[in-house]
Amino acid sequence: MPTVEIDGQVYTYDDDRHDKLLQFCLDHDIELPHFCYHPSMSIPANCRQCLVQVGTPERDRATGELVTDEEGNPNIQFMPGMQTSCTIGLQDGMVVKTHRTSDAVREAQKDTLEFLLINHPLDCPICDQAGHCPLQIQAYKYGPEGSRFEFRKVHKPKRVKLGPRVTLDAERCINCTRCTRFTDEISESGQLTINNRGVRNYPITAPGEDFDEAYSMNTIDLCPVGALTASDFRFKARIWEMSSSPSIVTTNATGANCEYWVRDNKVLRITPRQNMEVNEYWLPDEDRLVYDRFNDDRPEGPQVRSNGQLVNANWTQAYAKAAALLGPVDGDRIQFVGSAYATVEDNYLLTQLAEHLGADTPVYMPHIEPGAGDDWLITDDKTPNAQGCERLGIREADMQMLRTRIQNGEIDVLYVLEDDPVASELCALADLEDVDVILHYYNTTNETLPAVDVALPAAMVVETVGTYVNQDGRAQRVRPAKAIQGVNRTLMMEMGTSREDEHGTPFDRWHNESHRINCKPSWEILPQIADRVGLDLDYAKGPQAIMNEVQSALDAFEGATYDAMGLQGVALEDAEAGEPA
Amino acid sequence: MSHFDIERPIVKLPEQQPEQQIPDEELVWTDEEQERIEERKAKYPDPKSAIMDLLWMAQEKYDYLPPEAIRLCADTLDMDYARAYGVATFYTQYYKEEKGKFVLDVCTCFSCQMMGGYDILHYLEEKLGIHKGETTDDGLFTVEEVECLGCCGSAPMMQVTNGPYVHNLTKDKVDALLDDLKDGNMPPFVSVTLPQDEDEMGGNRRSDVEATETYQTPPRSEAVK
Ligand code: SF4
Ligand code: FES
Ligand code: FES
Repeated sequence: MPTVEIDGQVYTYDDDRHDKLLQFCLDHDIELPHFCYHPSMSIPANCRQCLVQVGTPERDRATGELVTDEEGNPNIQFMPGMQTSCTIGLQDGMVVKTHRTSDAVREAQKDTLEFLLINHPLDCPICDQAGHCPLQIQAYKYGPEGSRFEFRKVHKPKRVKLGPRVTLDAERCINCTRCTRFTDEISESGQLTINNRGVRNYPITAPGEDFDEAYSMNTIDLCPVGALTASDFRFKARIWEMSSSPSIVTTNATGANCEYWVRDNKVLRITPRQNMEVNEYWLPDEDRLVYDRFNDDRPEGPQVRSNGQLVNANWTQAYAKAAALLGPVDGDRIQFVGSAYATVEDNYLLTQLAEHLGADTPVYMPHIEPGAGDDWLITDDKTPNAQGCERLGIREADMQMLRTRIQNGEIDVLYVLEDDPVASELCALADLEDVDVILHYYNTTNETLPAVDVALPAAMVVETVGTYVNQDGRAQRVRPAKAIQGVNRTLMMEMGTSREDEHGTPFDRWHNESHRINCKPSWEILPQIADRVGLDLDYAKGPQAIMNEVQSALDAFEGATYDAMGLQGVALEDAEAGEPA
Repeated sequence: MSHFDIERPIVKLPEQQPEQQIPDEELVWTDEEQERIEERKAKYPDPKSAIMDLLWMAQEKYDYLPPEAIRLCADTLDMDYARAYGVATFYTQYYKEEKGKFVLDVCTCFSCQMMGGYDILHYLEEKLGIHKGETTDDGLFTVEEVECLGCCGSAPMMQVTNGPYVHNLTKDKVDALLDDLKDGNMPPFVSVTLPQDEDEMGGNRRSDVEATETYQTPPRSEAVK
């Protein structure tokens, strides 16, 4: 195996990978400051921050033999100038000195930073990026102390609306070209360019054009400074006031990995999380802008219908009412509707309840928008878990047939998990007049509510624990990002680990009672109702135990334990859906 | 606090919703131009590389390059408009706005700056009563500050309307140049020869130019301490 020596330590490397030195170092936890390099894009080497000293063993020109000193060590010839580690390929016997072992490298990195900061406004106190800004962090770590530049800085446009979702502060830009390379090479919209030259340049669209592509907000994450910021999130919260929880987005069937950023139990923004098997580094804009639905129009506790009116109730009353509606009815006159929005665990419990009551296996309502997908991260299917339902044996509903059955009065109780039959055009409100409807729902905008008899506010993806299966059969876990009302040990424990940075337990200073929603995860609601109709669905360890059972009972979920899914998910085998192992 | 001699270190945002300057019916290439374009495209492995040629053609055709002219070039080569716009704004030789009859591109890049490029620029600005980037009311002169024009040896220097260079500038030379231009006389192309050429080659390395000037060590700028 060929070797390289970095700061006195020898590493072997795989020649076939054609790794660049910088990437090799990063892969081996050797930190090197850098701005313009990004593993997914071309390498322009324009920031000059990743400088190192590189030497190679001297060879005799005539014979090609290695030249050695008296002790037989190869003679290392260092290149006269600093090299950008992002562009240098590894070579056998190469010797590298980073800032850890070389004063010259330290000086060079410091000088580069001094240049980068010359026209930078240094407005970190009001900058959204402060706190997770590569420029800020690296200036502290590798930069000079203070500034020698006491002249007037070059001023550039601020608050430039590049498009509907991205705002540019050109003064902060260090012209790394990550954003323009993204639009050129990754999203291929070609909407951004670097305008002008020298100290005057900054990225912009062509005149009269909008930066409105479906992936525009990825440039915000790529930007190593605060030049590109999210128009909707600007100045809303400092990074250190929020906690972030690794999870997935549920806007469509890709199951892109993300972080939910929460302050005071409100989701303020959604950013991508790297998963090379799913979304790599990217997240479409539409996945990021849905955070309002977690905060706004949320219900205030359960409600039951009494004397024709929906009135507030406590959870026990709601469970009792649901059980009272289900209990006396013949199984074949109850229709259970699962949900491609709900987790595998919740749907699984629903199938059990249906079976116990002698009802048909639940169906789920499809939410397909033909043509909405782009063969990348946006899919036609607007639900996160259709695949999970299918694998549980929950089939897509025959909407036409179901509607007829409802209209013909063949159904007495309609039990709907986390969906909206009226908005989904399964039936009209009027069709439900003589049907008892039990509904787990997220938002008060749910159009079925006027016909509902028991309204059960369900925890959303940011408040629950569970599993989703994306269109490619990848099972992925979600974790609670924000707290709900009430005490739930599972959620509290999960919260403690999912917000490792700031611990969401009631014992730390980030703990906050405000904006907690009075809702419950469906895996807590369903066993309560089941219990009242004579079915024991008690999983002491909550969804983790449920999933354990699912993965051992059903072939289609084999191996999808919580431990195995971890942060990156598990690719499930293709198996006959619903087949027992 | 030191004083830095850039008068206006403000970079303006380009017009975001520009008004169209050239009517649609004029935004087409003639057959002849089309032919030239094909020729240019054939020169490069990637035809998009011809963008600089095309921008130049468009500038000759329309005198300057309003956004729609840049877009025409981009569309012709089937390349991103933004990309073409980036190229056009990089080079000061492409005029993005209408300019005066004579464009005085004063170099203030490193060598020229050391030799008094800013003295010349400010002298011109004062004399013509305009700031860099502006045009005199009579439409005769536009003053621009540009980056290195590759003639550092005879710094400070300027270029007139993408044409001849004027070397080893002094205030007197600027006065004379303005007078000449007002009379409609462009300065001649001057080849700057090195002192050693004087002896070895009879004064001129190039046989195709009439005017030559011998390199001289220029005076240091008063402004540079
Ligand atoms: S805006 Fe950000 S990403 Fe784009 S070139 Fe400037 S620093 Fe780089
Ligand atoms: S990361 Fe190497 S030059 Fe920017
Ligand atoms: S610096 Fe003026 S020509 Fe090079």
